[in-house]
Amino acid sequence: MKRQIPLLITFFVGTLLIFSVFIPPMENLGENFTLFFDIIAVFAFFLGGGNLMRVHFMKLKKKKTDWQFSIVTLLGFFVMLAAGIFKIGNSGDISTSLTVEGSMFQTIYLNVFVPLGSTMYALLAFFVASASYRAFRAKNKEATILLVASFIILLGSTPFGTIMTSWIPDQLSIMEIPNLAVWIMSSPNLAGQRAILIGIGLGVVSISLRLILGLERTYLGDDSA
Amino acid sequence: MKFILSLFSIIFLFVNISSQDNPESFPFVDSSKITIAPPTSVIAEDFKYDNAEKLSITWIPSIDDQIGDNNKVKGYKIYRITDGGQPELIAEILPGSNNYLDEGLEENIWYSYFVSSISDNFEARSNTTESVTPKREWLNFDLKFLFLIALIISSSVIYYIRHASKGKKLFVRKIAGLEAVDDAIGRATEMGRPILFIPGIHDMDDVQTLAAITILGNVARQIADYDTKIRMPVSRSLVMTAARETIKAAYQTAGRPDAYSDDMVNYITDEQFGYVAAVDGIMVREKPATIFLLGAFFAESLILAETGNSIGAIQIAGTARPAQLPFFIAACDFTLIGEELFAASAYLSGEPKMLGSLKGQDIGKGIAMAAIVVGVLSATFGEIWDVQFLLDIKQYLLQFFTVR
Amino acid sequence: MEHFALWVAAFLTLGIISFLYKDNPWYKVTEAIFVGISAGYWVVVLFWDNFYGKFWVGKDNDSMLYVGGLLGLLMLMRLIPKIGWISRWPLAFIVGATSGLWMMNYFASNIMVQIQGTIVPLFSANFGEGMNAGYSTVIGNLVIFIGTFTGLVYFFFSKEHKGVYGVGARVGIFFLMITFGAAFGYTVMSRMSLLIGRLDFLFGDWLGMIK
Repeated sequence: MKRQIPLLITFFVGTLLIFSVFIPPMENLGENFTLFFDIIAVFAFFLGGGNLMRVHFMKLKKKKTDWQFSIVTLLGFFVMLAAGIFKIGNSGDISTSLTVEGSMFQTIYLNVFVPLGSTMYALLAFFVASASYRAFRAKNKEATILLVASFIILLGSTPFGTIMTSWIPDQLSIMEIPNLAVWIMSSPNLAGQRAILIGIGLGVVSISLRLILGLERTYLGDDSA
Repeated sequence: MKFILSLFSIIFLFVNISSQDNPESFPFVDSSKITIAPPTSVIAEDFKYDNAEKLSITWIPSIDDQIGDNNKVKGYKIYRITDGGQPELIAEILPGSNNYLDEGLEENIWYSYFVSSISDNFEARSNTTESVTPKREWLNFDLKFLFLIALIISSSVIYYIRHASKGKKLFVRKIAGLEAVDDAIGRATEMGRPILFIPGIHDMDDVQTLAAITILGNVARQIADYDTKIRMPVSRSLVMTAARETIKAAYQTAGRPDAYSDDMVNYITDEQFGYVAAVDGIMVREKPATIFLLGAFFAESLILAETGNSIGAIQIAGTARPAQLPFFIAACDFTLIGEELFAASAYLSGEPKMLGSLKGQDIGKGIAMAAIVVGVLSATFGEIWDVQFLLDIKQYLLQFFTVR
Repeated sequence: MEHFALWVAAFLTLGIISFLYKDNPWYKVTEAIFVGISAGYWVVVLFWDNFYGKFWVGKDNDSMLYVGGLLGLLMLMRLIPKIGWISRWPLAFIVGATSGLWMMNYFASNIMVQIQGTIVPLFSANFGEGMNAGYSTVIGNLVIFIGTFTGLVYFFFSKEHKGVYGVGARVGIFFLMITFGAAFGYTVMSRMSLLIGRLDFLFGDWLGMIK
């Protein structure tokens, strides 16, 4: 029973949304779902936020490894929460914009949040270099093809690529690296993308049907729970 | 004669002087206004396949808008008259436009429209259309081909699910990444180190996250049997809820409900790179032996995969985002490419019904391949030999696979 | 204040970069700050946009809000162990809705549109003449046709990759490798430009070495 009702809900809602695409009076169901989801996510956030606080408070209480950093996490969480919920430093009343200039929330966002996010993003430069080193050791045919394609695309977007093949006559200009890069993106790359996308589409159809028909039900837990 | 000429001269002088001082007072022609022609053939009609709330207005643009370097026409104003009431300005759109979709209307109310072309200081109004009311269509026949192909492919999936459940054995080729799951879990068990499961950074409204949770169900069953530790930091609260239900059910099925703890799954933060920073920290401190990276990933895929690689963990990754696959292929031991992510839970379960759905997917691929071969060959030979029949086949296939 | 904020940002930037060397207390502090601040940020944004914005400001506009609110409250039943199973209902709703919604979206965009785009002639008098126009288009279309076809052959589940079929699958994986290589090469430069931005901040704004 504890599983039957959710399975029926999944089946009913899934089938309804599939057919809503073809029935104009039902075309707004997709938008309504987005609204419901946003609201459910807000309520679920109480569970997530509560879990975050519980984990770090327990770490503090039991003095587990690195418990000192949990103080920092909780402090950051509550400071940001207070700054945003009470709109500390906002000129005007509670209905003013959250991100008004000079507000504590905006100050923390610009001077803490943004630098942290940008720097994490910037780490990709280092990781892409190490990934390239590993990928480009070309241990087999597949890796060699990946390496060659990647090199041509990379050189194609630099002046060096243009200089390298500037000697090629106009009749064979397709063999110049920038032109070859464009051709690779528009032909073999497109072919591979199409095959992957068609496969993904079919995979989504298959898993959606398995979920709607109740064949996949692990997310609903056990009947005895 | 002299008198008449003098009279005309006086009138001419008067006209020039007064028009310079007060252009708007001149009774016959205001030379300061940039006159333009109005739009013509304005038609208002019901917009097809909606819920009786839209009307489509089309017109032929002003002749001044169609002349290249003219630039006199600055745009168009659309006016609506509701049930014979007063005209109401509903939109101003750019020059060159020839249509407008009026939305949010009501059924059984009659609307008429006129369109004005506008210059800097002049407005030329078209004729008013006949009154029209939005109509409701119950089925969208524009999508008939989409419905047909969806029906064929869905039916084949369902057919093979039922067919397999009758006991017919279905062959499924080996997928390296999925064959390695058992060994990966075994490795973690032997080394006494945890398994790290990352279900992507999207919420439960992404089908890739659903795929990751269904795979978790199969992986968790083995983990529960072997009593291996699992660590699952998540980026979304709903995913945390679903994951806890999944792992709890796995432990209950394994007969070890006491071994389950809610702390196996914990929420970090919704922020993409905040989550990545925390997961990287978990990887280098707890040093999991096996890492699963399955679901929706973006730029952070490379950071996670590289960090996992640096600690010597065996990594099995899978995503349906083609842009992230190269990074997983470069940094992970096994990668599930696109469709294989969605097939994984069926493959790992080994249940005939689930494997039947994979066969149904293959039928879909077969249809796609057949359509492509027939389409390309008929287009090619139709062009070379100028055979109308072959060109018609190509045209029909293009129409069949067009989604409006 | 601005000077202090600059130093805070620089401290946090270098803390994250220190991870490249190895895990250390500086990175741990920075990570803890990031997790705490970002979690708080999202609670606040979700509260004002999805909660206050919908249930206070927008409440007269949409009666559907109350259905969503009810589902949300059912979600919170998880906190009461005896009736925690009720929280499966909104979860089931989300799974069903996601499956139904995305199934048709993917059908249209991933299957129909991709097949339609692949149906092109391998040869046409409209392709133009010479290597750069005519031959280039012919070869391009042929490559797209073969690549898409063999790529799909690779993904077949119910046939072993042996014999002629195996050759087709092998050709398919080669095309997939070109796709992955192209995606890899395409993103390398953009990743490098992200680092340039942070180095500009450190050496320009913070240390003042770049004017």
